[in-house]
Amino acid sequence: MQALIERQQTKKAPPLFKAVIQSTYKENFAFRSSMAVSLIVQPIYFLVNYFIWQAVFQVNDTVSGFTLKTMLYYFAVSSLLGFLNWDNADGSLQWLVQTGRFITYQLRPVHYLYYSFFQKVGHRILAFWVEILPIIGFYLLFKIYPIPVMPIWALVSVSLSFVLSFLINYIIGTIAFWLVKTDGLRRAIMVIKDVCSGIFLPLTLFPSIIQKFLFILPFQFISYVPARVFMGSYELAGIKLSIPQIVGLQALMVVVTFFLNRLVWHLGIKRFTGVGA
Amino acid sequence: MSRNLSLPSPEKQQAYRSTFLQWFKIYIHGMKTAFASRMAYRGDFFMSMFIMMVVELFGPLITLLIYHNGASFPGWERHEVLLLQGVFLLSRGIAFPFFMGMVWNTISRVQEGTYDLLLIKPRSILQMSIVTAFDSEDLGKLIGGILMFAYAMKSVPTPPFTNWVSFLLLFIFSLLSMFAFGLFMSGLGIVWIGNYRIYEIFMSVMDFGLYPRSIFNKLFQTIITWVIPISLLGSFPASALLGKEISGVLGAMLCAIGFLIFGLWFYHRMVRNYTSAGG
Amino acid sequence: MIKVDKLTKTYTTYERGGTFREALKSLVVRKKKMVEALKEVSFEIGEGELIGFLGPNGAGKSTTLKILTGILYPTSGAVEIMGYVPWKDRKKYVANIGAVFGQKSQLLFDIPPMDSFLLNQSIYNIPEQAFRKTMNEMVEMLDLEKIVRKPTRQLSLGERMKCEFIMAMLHRPKIVFLDEPTIGLDVIAKGKIRDFIHEQNKNGTTFILTTHDLEDVEQLAKRVIVVNHGEIVFDNSMDHLRKHLGDKKSVHVTTRNPLPSLAQPGILIRKQHSNRDVELELDLSKLKLNEFIKEMNEKSIINDMSIESLEIENIIKDLYSQE
Repeated sequence: MQALIERQQTKKAPPLFKAVIQSTYKENFAFRSSMAVSLIVQPIYFLVNYFIWQAVFQVNDTVSGFTLKTMLYYFAVSSLLGFLNWDNADGSLQWLVQTGRFITYQLRPVHYLYYSFFQKVGHRILAFWVEILPIIGFYLLFKIYPIPVMPIWALVSVSLSFVLSFLINYIIGTIAFWLVKTDGLRRAIMVIKDVCSGIFLPLTLFPSIIQKFLFILPFQFISYVPARVFMGSYELAGIKLSIPQIVGLQALMVVVTFFLNRLVWHLGIKRFTGVGA
Repeated sequence: MSRNLSLPSPEKQQAYRSTFLQWFKIYIHGMKTAFASRMAYRGDFFMSMFIMMVVELFGPLITLLIYHNGASFPGWERHEVLLLQGVFLLSRGIAFPFFMGMVWNTISRVQEGTYDLLLIKPRSILQMSIVTAFDSEDLGKLIGGILMFAYAMKSVPTPPFTNWVSFLLLFIFSLLSMFAFGLFMSGLGIVWIGNYRIYEIFMSVMDFGLYPRSIFNKLFQTIITWVIPISLLGSFPASALLGKEISGVLGAMLCAIGFLIFGLWFYHRMVRNYTSAGG
Repeated sequence: MIKVDKLTKTYTTYERGGTFREALKSLVVRKKKMVEALKEVSFEIGEGELIGFLGPNGAGKSTTLKILTGILYPTSGAVEIMGYVPWKDRKKYVANIGAVFGQKSQLLFDIPPMDSFLLNQSIYNIPEQAFRKTMNEMVEMLDLEKIVRKPTRQLSLGERMKCEFIMAMLHRPKIVFLDEPTIGLDVIAKGKIRDFIHEQNKNGTTFILTTHDLEDVEQLAKRVIVVNHGEIVFDNSMDHLRKHLGDKKSVHVTTRNPLPSLAQPGILIRKQHSNRDVELELDLSKLKLNEFIKEMNEKSIINDMSIESLEIENIIKDLYSQE
């Protein structure tokens, strides 16, 4: 008996990231029917968009450089990116701060940022077969094959967007350090984020002044950039960049956002402990 | 036992209850309480309301960008599409604060176990679900709808009186259809416990109503007119106001009535389901 | 006033597996499981009674309560309360009852209780005069004058619970159902609420109290119904309940000299603190109290001794553990 206990103690514990991924996956498994609602919702949105563009392209051959085929391709890819990049880092963090529960994470040896990120990974692995694969299957019915022109670059770009969207949502969550009720504000930022990231429409459709503005914001790197990398060419606000260039810029944006994230967190904690809550 | 004297007799209570006035009085009271509750977080309230409004104004975004890029929906001018969307948002702006809250109310109460508290009140469960669900911040949607409608009307030549009459009639049907949607979603919320995404299904289906009916293929045109009265939400009332030729209005109106009756039946079926379950 | 006859409630649940394979399988074939929540339960309650309705978790307590309040339909059996069948004439029936749930608030969180009361006034259609009279009476009785105009979220749990009582009784219900009404409250708040219930009961209101707090039951109920496994295992007065396990006493004794052997009929050792200090249960039908004291004193010399009736907790434990 004693030997057994010793053996268990000497056996190395599984790495934390693996444990977090697994527990998040299992926790959310019970809610997969709720997740699967996307399988009704997304095809409906796609159909509406399909009809919109079909009607529009009846009169016009191209709109802002897009044909019916490339427009639907863009819509499909950006929607898949939306599912892949979705997370609730902002909501969870807000809840933890407002209920004071986030203290329990401060007492742990691992930073909550790390924890939260691997929660996202676990959650998205579940989403991969519940939401993403079936929706890809649906797109295939419309002969839309979401295969990137340059697979390696696309993989890099998608991974970067995965991290970037997490970091941005996390920053939005830290607003809870300053405001008691943040639901309204968070919703507002989320809508702006979605519109500016190009999840509904290619950003080149916007008026050129707005395009210049969108080019400066970090949001395009969440959805518009990886979608364009999938298509093999990038353009916004009249600026044309090669794929390596834009992916390099995306990587830079991830680094900048990371440091911004740390800064905001630091200020938030300072305020939190300063107030003495 | 003087306390019994002050109670109205059961017959009298019955008479009170059946009047529409009484119903309305309770509704207004529920509305006032909801407002008072929401005012506890004034800052967040105005912020949320403002955001609701702005989010609604994003509805026509795709349309605006399409026309901005020189493209168009066949047979529809830019201002005509905007009017259609204005009508749609107006209808949604009335539905959401005033009765659509019952969906969220039902889902969350069933999940938390407080749905029972509505069942021990001497009113119909539908009435209680609506009375306790006035959603004040959704008034932002109404403001958004009014703004959109007014903006689109500026570019429309003044419609003759008869157009207004048929518009109003169809707009009432639009609201009735919204209500039927609410019934279906609430019913679903009773059995599909804790699934707040029911709203999303509803919003996505309604997306068909944000565009002219003519852009859809024959099959979908039939579905959104004869099966689910989505054409009535925006397309038909707007067409009536613009004096555009429309076919199948009568059918759509019949469909809406059928849809409402079916919605009521479904809702009560699900309530019955709840009250005969156990655990 | 309340007549319950052979009330039965069965429902089906579906078993769902946790693994992916089981989940896939459950999409095709679902394992049905019949649960018998109530098995032919019958009882009657008269006007003005104050009944303690007890049972362990999952015994059928809340199912009964839900049926009696018109929330749930039974599978079979009959219920008649004040001439109504609760689930059939729900709207008319519930106008005559009230309910307080310790764990589910009827007050609106962000506004003062007063505003919640007013909403109830319109829902129950209570005439203004009667409403004011009842409310003032109750507010005074519960010391809530300064409380009812503060937002509910600022109130203490005790204050909130008192307001829940007013909320449930503004329309002067003839029967009030209480579900864990003192859960989480401090001693003073509990006492105040118990006094209130007593007072209202004296005025003729019938109360049905479900709780896990046995002190509530001891201090309030005159009659107790205990359900277990969907059946009534006890239905009699509080005094009968106390004697349910026979005429027994709970004894704590400390002695100067080591205790004699206690292995004799009529003595059950509960806790032996040392060889001079013991807690035991005495069955008076087998061993008389004076004989026990005499023997203890002669053999070990009693230092201190307390004799009490058996705690109701033990009786209830015994009823709950019966198969």
